[in-house]
Amino acid sequence: MKKFLVSALVFARGHRVATALLFLLIFPFLMPYDALSVNILIFGLYAVGFNLLFGYTGMLSFGHAAFLGVGSYLAGISVVSAGWPWWAAIGVGVASSCLAGLIIGFLAIRTRGIYFSMVTLALAQIVYYIFYKSERWTGGENGLRGVKVEAIELPGIRIDFLNPLNKYYVILVFVALALWFVSRVLNSPFGAVIEAIRENEKRAAACGYNVARAKLLVFVLSAGICGLAGALRALHLSVVPIDSLHYLQSGQAVMMCLLGGMGTFFGPFVGAAVFLLLEDVVTNLTRYWMGVVGLVFMFFVLFFPKGIWGTLLYQLDRWQNRQGKAL
Amino acid sequence: MFDITPQLFALQLMTGIALGAIYALLAIGLSLIFGMLTVVNFAHGAFFMVGAFLGVYSMALTGSFWFSLLLVPLATGAIGLLCERFLVRPLYGRGIDYPLLLTFGLSYVLIDVMRFTFGIEGLPSSTPPELRGSVFLGFGYFPLYRLFLIAATAVIVLGLWLFIEKTRYGLIIRAGSRDAEIVKVLGIDIAKVWLLVFGIGTAIAGLSGLLAAPTRAVNPEMGIPLLAESFVVTVVGGMGSLPGAVVAGLLVGVVFAMTSLVAPEYGELSIFVLMAVVLLIRPQGFFGKAGLMS
Amino acid sequence: MSAVPILEVRAVSRTFGNFRALNNVSVAFRAGELTAIIGPNGAGKSTFFNVISGGVPPSSGQVLFEGRDITQIAPHDFARIGIAKSFQITNVFKQLSAHENVRVALQMQVSRFQLLRPRGAYVALMERADALLERVGLADIRHKLAGDLAHGQQRSLEVAMALACDPKLLLMDEPTAGMSPEETRVMMGLIQQLSQERTVILVEHKMKLVMGLCNRLIVLHHGELLVDGNPDEIRGNAEVRRVYLGQN
Repeated sequence: MKKFLVSALVFARGHRVATALLFLLIFPFLMPYDALSVNILIFGLYAVGFNLLFGYTGMLSFGHAAFLGVGSYLAGISVVSAGWPWWAAIGVGVASSCLAGLIIGFLAIRTRGIYFSMVTLALAQIVYYIFYKSERWTGGENGLRGVKVEAIELPGIRIDFLNPLNKYYVILVFVALALWFVSRVLNSPFGAVIEAIRENEKRAAACGYNVARAKLLVFVLSAGICGLAGALRALHLSVVPIDSLHYLQSGQAVMMCLLGGMGTFFGPFVGAAVFLLLEDVVTNLTRYWMGVVGLVFMFFVLFFPKGIWGTLLYQLDRWQNRQGKAL
Repeated sequence: MFDITPQLFALQLMTGIALGAIYALLAIGLSLIFGMLTVVNFAHGAFFMVGAFLGVYSMALTGSFWFSLLLVPLATGAIGLLCERFLVRPLYGRGIDYPLLLTFGLSYVLIDVMRFTFGIEGLPSSTPPELRGSVFLGFGYFPLYRLFLIAATAVIVLGLWLFIEKTRYGLIIRAGSRDAEIVKVLGIDIAKVWLLVFGIGTAIAGLSGLLAAPTRAVNPEMGIPLLAESFVVTVVGGMGSLPGAVVAGLLVGVVFAMTSLVAPEYGELSIFVLMAVVLLIRPQGFFGKAGLMS
Repeated sequence: MSAVPILEVRAVSRTFGNFRALNNVSVAFRAGELTAIIGPNGAGKSTFFNVISGGVPPSSGQVLFEGRDITQIAPHDFARIGIAKSFQITNVFKQLSAHENVRVALQMQVSRFQLLRPRGAYVALMERADALLERVGLADIRHKLAGDLAHGQQRSLEVAMALACDPKLLLMDEPTAGMSPEETRVMMGLIQQLSQERTVILVEHKMKLVMGLCNRLIVLHHGELLVDGNPDEIRGNAEVRRVYLGQN
């Protein structure tokens, strides 16, 4: 049994996108209800976007809700105010969150370490207040309503988008594309650059890499992926709650990433799944979900900082090293 | 909109200073903890909130505002001591993000503990009877309580300054913040210093919550926006700088108040914009050291 | 043969608060030379090195590379214009293999923002990385993590990384620090080889090492230029002797 698990893990590591997709294809059948699967898919993507910055570059942003929210709102506004089709809305959502990432990233990257965390939180709050005040476009406190996408019209097929299972597989197409993209980036020469920067910034600069510009690019890519998650969320919920932009939403990305395993490919999804499943279970038992999640999170920070998947991988590495030594 | 008389201007300025006093206290606590422990206390807003709740409760229980002024910072300080000793300290070797993450989780727990203890609606708060009413300041009537707030903050800041500049313990704190090794070599247990500083920081946060309670709604969520706003103050003033915390706190309070005068509802936005501007032209803040931030 | 010095330092001073680490130092380095900056502890060698390598800007004065003013350029531009350095305290990518360390340094030449092609497609880079590793004698440990290498090996790795950008000017800060006599011998041999192809400037405090090796020695003392000359001139200089023996 152990051997099977080990070979499964090794395969997973070598063929990350394929494994992820395989798993995600059957995922709805493992979950109690489809809407939860959709949520996990969307927030998993959100965590993947965040993980690109935090897990792989080491920059702890507390303002990523801005990109989730901008993606959601701009996608929603395209549908509600401009009457654009769903695919255009997604495009607008991603583009606008990339732009937001460029602006916020440019300002935030002038700082580093813990200042970066504080600054990203505060800059994201600017976005929150701007959207809060722009009632005419965003609905203010009540959020944006009426993002109605009832059917996905493709040449030849009409998919009923209101059916949660259909929703899941439509959204999965986009998530798959995003995962493929992230995997390519991580494997690319640029991926090597950000690894180097996370390892030793001074060294990377001495080699000739423009560290600030590289960080900004990662920031923008990360923002774009979170924006995609936001756009998909808007289509899924048909509303955009104002809290999408609040820093507590940013905190949720941090929590999901840590729970699952920062800097790993599957960690964010594992984290999102665990987080949302836990929320589902706990909120049925008590109203003090916030306290419970706070305790769980502190527990992980203290004792399992690698997260669930990260710890698994770490144990696998150790086991493999011991096998290697025995030979 | 532009019939703002000089009197109205002056009164609003005073309001801004009163608000700024709270910001200054919050930022001082944050900067102390940061300067000494290099920890950004993401639970700072939550400690503020706990202070407000305990303050209102203790005032209702004992009927004495003055007694609460003593009790509340001791209580929040004690909670802070426990948190530092058992939750934050294990994380010091690990990397600068971990204490931050932990305090973030802690804030969630504190919020729900208060909800559990006092209910989700919050508690009604009112100005202590001795401090009700207004005072005529030459350009208009200003609430007595807010004057008291400004005065109390000045006293606390002065006291803190004396403690840090003039006492032996303060010397240790100053020395430690610059070089933990030296302090260790002198035979002082640095862990105790960290414990103390964290406790003082959270005590001040709680105290500012108590002082602010009569001026705003006391509910479990009250600390959430305040955390972000206190980050603005520390960025503007310079993280780790106590004079910076005071000056920036007052500045931010005044900016908020004056913006609210001409463009009501844009107060919060204006202070975040201030922060963005400072980030662009002087990322280390007014009193921060260059190179500290970037 | 160009008359423009490859590196020129003009009236450079550097203060840290009240402390004057460098005071009005002017030196012109000619291409092809192997120069050593020497001086007793606290002479300002490290500060001088940091100024010419982009680690720290001068408080006043200029640094010129092939006639161009580089005083204000960003640290990451040094490699691009042809100046490479190795650090005093070994500074490699500890969690990456030796091969990957050099490959990353080389990659700078080829692509920085390529997002989609896999790294493995750049075969030429990998071959060049191996060639450099072989040059510094690290070919057989190319897969070991840099953090696990012996101290001397890490320093050799740094040299390989510095060579990745094919620099015209190689700056080395105490290249033999912490090395065993055997490792030192190997490193000095490598430096001598390198000095045949490029200009090399060393900071060293082991006098004996540099005497036999360098064409030119620059002696700093209390942040000022004391003597500038070839080994024989330095050996016979009474000032230098006083400054060094006084330290003992």
